[in-house]
Amino acid sequence: MLQFLIDTLLRATDLALIAFGLSLVYGLVKFPNIAHVQYAMLGAYLTFGLGAAGVPLPLALLLAALLVGALTLVLQRLVFQRLLKSGPAIAMIGSLAIAMLLVALLQGSAGTFPRMFELPLKAPILLGDARITHTQLYFFATTLVLLAAFTVALFHTRLGRAMRALAGNPALANASGLHAARITLMVTFASGSIAGLGGGLLALSTGAHINLGHDLLLPVFAAAILGGLGNPMGAVAGALLIAFTETLVTNLNFGWLVGREMAFLPVSYISGAAFLILLLALLFKPYGLFDREVRRV
Amino acid sequence: MPFKFRSMLISTSMFFTLATAAPFASAADAVQMGAVLSLTGANATVGEDVRRAVKLAEDKVNADGGVLGKPFQVLVEDSGGNPTTAINAARKLVSVDKVPVVIGEYSSGISIPMGQYLVKEGVVHINIASTSVKIRDLGSSSFNLIGLEDKGNKFSSQDAWDLGFRNVAVLAPNNAYGQGVAHGFRAEFEKLGGRIVNETLYTAGQSTYRRELQQIARSKPDAYIYTAYGQESAVINREALELGLREQPWYAILLSMSLSDTPANIAQGQLGMEVGSFVGPTGKAYADAFAAKYKEGMKTSYTGYAYDAVLMAAKAIEKAGNTEPAAVQAALKELGKGYDGVTGTVAFDDGRQRLDPPYAKLKYDGGKVVPR
Amino acid sequence: MFDFLVSALTFASLYGLMALGLNLQAGYGGLLNFGHIAFAGLGAYATGIAVQAGYSPWLGMAFGVLLAMALGGCVARLGRKLASDYWGIATLAIAEILRVVATNEGWLTGGAQGIGAIPRLFDGVGFLVMMLVLLGIATLLCQRLADGRFGRALRLMREEPQLAACMGYDLTSLKSRAIMASAALTAIAGSLYAHFMSYVGPDYLLASETFLLWTMLMIGGLSNLRGVLLGVLLVQAAYSLVPFAKDYLGFDSDLAGALRLGLIGAILLACLMWRSEGLIPEKVRKIA
Repeated sequence: MLQFLIDTLLRATDLALIAFGLSLVYGLVKFPNIAHVQYAMLGAYLTFGLGAAGVPLPLALLLAALLVGALTLVLQRLVFQRLLKSGPAIAMIGSLAIAMLLVALLQGSAGTFPRMFELPLKAPILLGDARITHTQLYFFATTLVLLAAFTVALFHTRLGRAMRALAGNPALANASGLHAARITLMVTFASGSIAGLGGGLLALSTGAHINLGHDLLLPVFAAAILGGLGNPMGAVAGALLIAFTETLVTNLNFGWLVGREMAFLPVSYISGAAFLILLLALLFKPYGLFDREVRRV
Repeated sequence: MPFKFRSMLISTSMFFTLATAAPFASAADAVQMGAVLSLTGANATVGEDVRRAVKLAEDKVNADGGVLGKPFQVLVEDSGGNPTTAINAARKLVSVDKVPVVIGEYSSGISIPMGQYLVKEGVVHINIASTSVKIRDLGSSSFNLIGLEDKGNKFSSQDAWDLGFRNVAVLAPNNAYGQGVAHGFRAEFEKLGGRIVNETLYTAGQSTYRRELQQIARSKPDAYIYTAYGQESAVINREALELGLREQPWYAILLSMSLSDTPANIAQGQLGMEVGSFVGPTGKAYADAFAAKYKEGMKTSYTGYAYDAVLMAAKAIEKAGNTEPAAVQAALKELGKGYDGVTGTVAFDDGRQRLDPPYAKLKYDGGKVVPR
Repeated sequence: MFDFLVSALTFASLYGLMALGLNLQAGYGGLLNFGHIAFAGLGAYATGIAVQAGYSPWLGMAFGVLLAMALGGCVARLGRKLASDYWGIATLAIAEILRVVATNEGWLTGGAQGIGAIPRLFDGVGFLVMMLVLLGIATLLCQRLADGRFGRALRLMREEPQLAACMGYDLTSLKSRAIMASAALTAIAGSLYAHFMSYVGPDYLLASETFLLWTMLMIGGLSNLRGVLLGVLLVQAAYSLVPFAKDYLGFDSDLAGALRLGLIGAILLACLMWRSEGLIPEKVRKIA
């Protein structure tokens, strides 16, 4: 039981930061950014690169995150702002192009083989029947702290309020004197950095590899949509739900149904199950489970 | 209307530019052959590793004086990991570059359509990595260097049985390769009287495999029979250790591939088998040359086959005296009566399949893969 | 070389049919379908399964069309409630579910190995001629549709949905019909694709295939038939060009894969940045 909980939490942690970043910036730019998951991949490679150059790991993670945030800012200014003038569909396809360029760039420079981190092997921590390693604990704790910090920022600071106001009603917010462009850029930077950090932390377990972004695309988007696009905390909840579904599907013993001691759903249906949940959720709650989007009258 | 016409003209003229530019593009005076590999896509690790072997072979041929007195060139094209791009690549090699031999690919879902196309064009095809039994029926100009999965699975199931395993769990990737291995192993192992208590096909590209591993562990197997590659293999091995699943023996089909990115302390003690990726003194020399050039060892088990394929093709062209596919095919058949390759002695049967493909029983000990 | 050109043009015409289908939804209707490849995949698999079971290929194609239209109907009903971005990801999820099913249900679909030995129908130039004829017919049909009431209603729904509703158009029915027509056309293309490749596999249903179609649409110009066809030709030319560029520029083959991806991404980005309506923008008639 405890292992189940831990597995769910760990999988959710893999997705949470990146999904959070996606939803955070969506509220302001209003288009689904396919390149977002590639920011995570970039963060992973930069963390590895910095680590290999001798930078201590926590600093490498931080620096990589900041670098990715800076790149996100540049892309927003140079590319997406321009594309958005033609509409969200064009911006989305543009983000697809950026994603391709990022992958091509990294594959060309870093090569095709995955880069694994050389972390010391320590015995996992035993919690009753369940096991968790130090790296996973580190990842989980960092995610928790960051999410808490952002929640506080979103709901208890002026900047957070301004951001939410802007997401809800840009025209009114602008008229009220909020500096829309500046806030958008700051949030863009934040979302890019979070994605980069999420990617770096993820890579500690999986290694930095070319398909890292691509593999995250569908689960991260599913999590963000489940929570309602523009609702970053919802995205985290979405990640939890997806992780829960995935873990449940593989742990439920259907043996009693078919008269055998053990019968499980094939694990190859894990992703299918997650998407099925997404579709079902959308059928009943078309704007995501936590329906907070302000819709035009 | 005029604008549309202009744009259509631009695109069609792009096509015709290819027609005229291509002959000038390729090196005018070299003997060429083709290779279609997955340089991008899900199996890029395999493709890139094999590409290195191909390059090494090309360098060796040129160091030994080239072919027919001219420099030797292997044109490597990307299959993109899907059959459409692969066939496009093969088509370019055949109808534009006019190569007599094409080697590749990795996934049976790609090798089979591509092989069929090459046979239809009369071009020699050499299979270096796909193990589906359907490879046998590709056609008269298709040669196969690697043991197909029926032989491989027979070997590994016999080995597993001999090691005393009776109730095992099988873990393999959910693609053409993994499905073939899982089903084949099951068939052979059950013939010997063993039982598969759990068969899990994992989906590549996930951030964690804990769920899969927990499910398998529940079935309480005597041993875990698995095969994996790329980044997932490292994650699976690490998480298996962390979850305490290594208290049972772990047996890898294609051991060095499954452990290629796994640190030594995690890999310690695993058992397994291998398609002989390098055998004997010739093989050892090859492995050393590979490590010297690329500063690291091979990541997959297929590089030796690609190396042999390129060298054999070069030799066949030399023997035939020209680059006509039919002549090269005949020469290759002759050569295939007994050739000393890095994967052991290469001999083809009447169906151009490899006789006695090498397999090895291995284990991982003290930081490397050693024979048992 | 001729052989290569014939094959490249055949691929272009196959993708052209699929892109025309997507254009019906996305161009005229403004529907952001990111799982469009599911229709083609259904057509391809229906053909593969039917042929393997011994039925006539035409029966397989018909069955594929029916399946695709059924899926289209379901997807349209889903779209009744969902905002466009959500619907886009929902369609992506549906295509992904189909791909997972195709990879796993080996007894039906051949699993990851797919289904092979599908008869070619025609060889080489014959196939190309058939495709060009079909493409011509499809273009004419789409043109008729676009210029008629249905097309105008779709475009009105795209630009001013409330006005369309006020004018008495049933928006849901419009969307359904657009999607189902698009599904039918795309399923036929998918079916022919399976014949051309003599093979069908779960990789046909990858999300990247839909993205490819969208790229063709965007580069050429949405909702403009000539633009769509031009986009298809250009992207196909770019893909085919890369291996030659690699040879010509002397790139090492380890960069080749990255080069292909990067080139397409760069072309796409350039087109979007500097000609965002596409190379042939839609001609919207101005009210005098």
